[in-house]
Amino acid sequence: MINLVLLTPIVLCIIMFFAKNKNLNNLLINIYAILHLITGLGYFLKPLQLFNNQYFSLNSSNIVFYLILSVIFIAVSIYNCGYSKNLTFSDKKMMHYSVMLLLFVLSMTGSILSNNLGLAWIFIEGTTLASAYLIYFNKTKHSIEAAWKYVFICSIGIALAFVGIILLTVAEGNLNSLNYSDLLNNAESFNHFWLNVSFVFILFGIGTKMGLAPVHFWLPDAHAEAPSPISALLSATLLNCAFLVILNIYKVVVAANCFAYAKIVLFVMGFLSLFITAVFLYHTTNYKRMLAYSSIENMGILAIATALGGIAYYALIIHIIGHSLIKASYFLSSGNILELFETKRIKSTRGLIDVDKKTAWLWIVSFLGICAFPPSLLFISEFLTVKAMLIQKHYILCVLFLFLLTIILYSMAKTVIKMVFGEKSEEKFEIAKKNISKITFSMYAPQIILLTFAFVLGIYMPEVIDIIIKNTFVG
Amino acid sequence: MENGFIILFGLTMLYLSATSRLIAHVKTIIIQGILLFLICSTAFYHLPWYTIAFLTIETLLVKAILIPLFLNKVLKKTHSNRDTDANIAHFYCLLISSIILFGGFMLSVIEIPSLSMINPFCFGIALAVIIISLWLITIKHKILSNVIEFITMENGIFLLSLSVAKEMPMLVNIGVLLDVFIAIYILGLFVSEINTELGDMEVAHLSDLKDCEYND
Repeated sequence: MINLVLLTPIVLCIIMFFAKNKNLNNLLINIYAILHLITGLGYFLKPLQLFNNQYFSLNSSNIVFYLILSVIFIAVSIYNCGYSKNLTFSDKKMMHYSVMLLLFVLSMTGSILSNNLGLAWIFIEGTTLASAYLIYFNKTKHSIEAAWKYVFICSIGIALAFVGIILLTVAEGNLNSLNYSDLLNNAESFNHFWLNVSFVFILFGIGTKMGLAPVHFWLPDAHAEAPSPISALLSATLLNCAFLVILNIYKVVVAANCFAYAKIVLFVMGFLSLFITAVFLYHTTNYKRMLAYSSIENMGILAIATALGGIAYYALIIHIIGHSLIKASYFLSSGNILELFETKRIKSTRGLIDVDKKTAWLWIVSFLGICAFPPSLLFISEFLTVKAMLIQKHYILCVLFLFLLTIILYSMAKTVIKMVFGEKSEEKFEIAKKNISKITFSMYAPQIILLTFAFVLGIYMPEVIDIIIKNTFVG
Repeated sequence: MENGFIILFGLTMLYLSATSRLIAHVKTIIIQGILLFLICSTAFYHLPWYTIAFLTIETLLVKAILIPLFLNKVLKKTHSNRDTDANIAHFYCLLISSIILFGGFMLSVIEIPSLSMINPFCFGIALAVIIISLWLITIKHKILSNVIEFITMENGIFLLSLSVAKEMPMLVNIGVLLDVFIAIYILGLFVSEINTELGDMEVAHLSDLKDCEYND
C-alpha cells in the first residue's frame, strides 16, 4: 500500500507530462487524492504489514498527520478543479503546476511516512524544491521575491538541520542508525550534551520550515504570494510535516531524560512566535499575510504545548487537526476573495457580504474557528493548553499567553469585520460583481466540509479518532 | 598531510572575506572543492572503498567543476563583477573572520572527553567555516555573493560530516544531495530568473514585500 502511494504520483506525473491536458491533470490529481485517503483509512483495517517496509511505515505516531494530509489534499484538489478553470495559462504551464503539486504532496507524504531521520530530511528538502516553483507560479516580481526568500532561508535552515543530524550521530556513540525506533530504544545511552546541541540545531533548522519565530521570515511572503490552493497546502500540511520531524526528535530527547533545556528553547520560540504575530498582525494590510501570521501563531502554540507535556500532548494533536482543517478553509476562502476583488489589500475588499454571501460567511466562520470560538476544535486545544499551564503553575506564562492571544483575536476580528461588513468602494464592487461567475460550487464545497469537520469534532469526538490521537505520543 | 589540507581549507575563508571580486570568489570555490577532494582521498581510510570512491568522484565533479562552471556562466550572463557595498569594510571583515577561524583552531586543540567520537581538528575548522559563511551572508549585498557563501557553508557542513569518525555512508550521501540541490535549483533556475525579472542582482531589490502598504 505504502509503495503504491509513493509510486503512483510519479506515474501520474509522467502521464501529465505527455498528455498536457488541463482536464486530465485535474482528474489525475483527484484520483491520487482519493487513493491517498483510501490508504489512510485502510490503516484501520488489518493486516498492518501492508503499511510497513524498511524505510516507510504508517503507524500510530504518524497516522494523524497522514490523515490530515489526505483530507486537506482532497479538499484542495476539489477546489483546484474550479480554480484552475479561471487560470488562463498555457497547457504546458498548467502541466508544470499539476506535476509540481503532485511532487509536493509526494514529498510531504514521504516525510510523514519515513521512519528514518535522514530520509525525512531528504523529503523535507524535496518539499522545498517542489513548492518553490508553485510559489513562483504567477511569475511576478513579488512572487519571485517570495520564492527566493523561501528557497534561500529554508535551504539554510535545512543545512543547519543537517548539522543537527551530524551532531546527533555524535551523541549516539556506538549506535550507527538514524532510525526513529533505534533512536528511541537507545536514547538513554546518548551523550546528553551533544543531544541537546543537536536538538537545538534540528529545532532551528526544521523550525525554519515550520515557521517558528525567529526563523519565520519566509512564511508571510510565501503564503501571501502563492496561489491560494498552494497556500492552503503550505499552511495546513507542510508546517505539520516539519513539526512531525521535530516531535520525533523531541520524543528521543524526552526518552533520554534530558529535556529541560529543550523545553526552554521550545517555550522561547513558542512565545516569540505569539509575540511576533501579535505585533505584525495589528498593522498588516494584506489579508493573505494575516492568515500567514496566524499560522505562525498556531505553530507557536504547538511549540508551547510540546514543551508543557502531559495533558498538553493531547491538546497538541487536537490543535494540529483543528488548525489544518480551519486554516485550509480560510486560505481557500481567501482565494475566492482574491478572484472576486483581484487584490489582496484589506482596504480594497470591503463589503464582501454584499458581493458574495457564501464566501463572506465562510470567511466569518473560518475566523471564528481559528479564534477558538466554541465549539471549534481549537477551543478545546487552547483550553487544555491553558489548563496544563495552570496545573504546572506557570501562572505568568499563562497570563502572557492569554494576553497575546487576545491581541491577535482583536487584530483579526477588526480586519474580518471591516472586510465583510465595511463600506464598499463602488469601483471595487463593480469588479467583484463582474467576477462572481468565476466562483463555482467546487470553490465553496471544500471549505464547508472542512469547517463542518472542525466544528463537529469539537462537539463529538468519535472513539476511533480519540484513540489515534492518544496513541500518537505512545507509539 | 590531511591536517595541512584542512588548514588550507580554513584559510580560503579568509581570502573570501578579504576580496570583493566575484570571479575571485568562484576561484575560491574551485580551490575548496579540490581541497575537499584531497581531504576525502587522504584522510578517510576507515570508510569502505566504495564510499570513498563515491565521495571523491562526487566532490571533484560537483564541488570543483560543476558548481564553479554554473557560477561562471551566471557571472557572465549577469555581468556581475564586484560586490563593493558590503555592510562592513574588508579590513574588519577579515579581522572578524580571522577571530572566528582562530576560535575554530582553539576548539580543536582543547581536549574535550565528549569529542572522542569526532576528529577535533576537522570539527573545529568546519564549524568556523560554517559560522564565517553565515556571517558573510548577512553582510554582503549581491545575490550571487550570498549564493557563493551558501556554497562555502555547505562545504563546511560536508567537512563536518566527514569529521564524524564512524561509518555513516547514508549521512554523507544525503549531504551530497545538498550539492545537487544548490547547483540545479538555486544557481540554474533562480539566479537567472531573478536577473531576467529584476535586471539586477542586488539583494536590496528583493525587499518589496512587507507589512505596510505596497502595491500588489
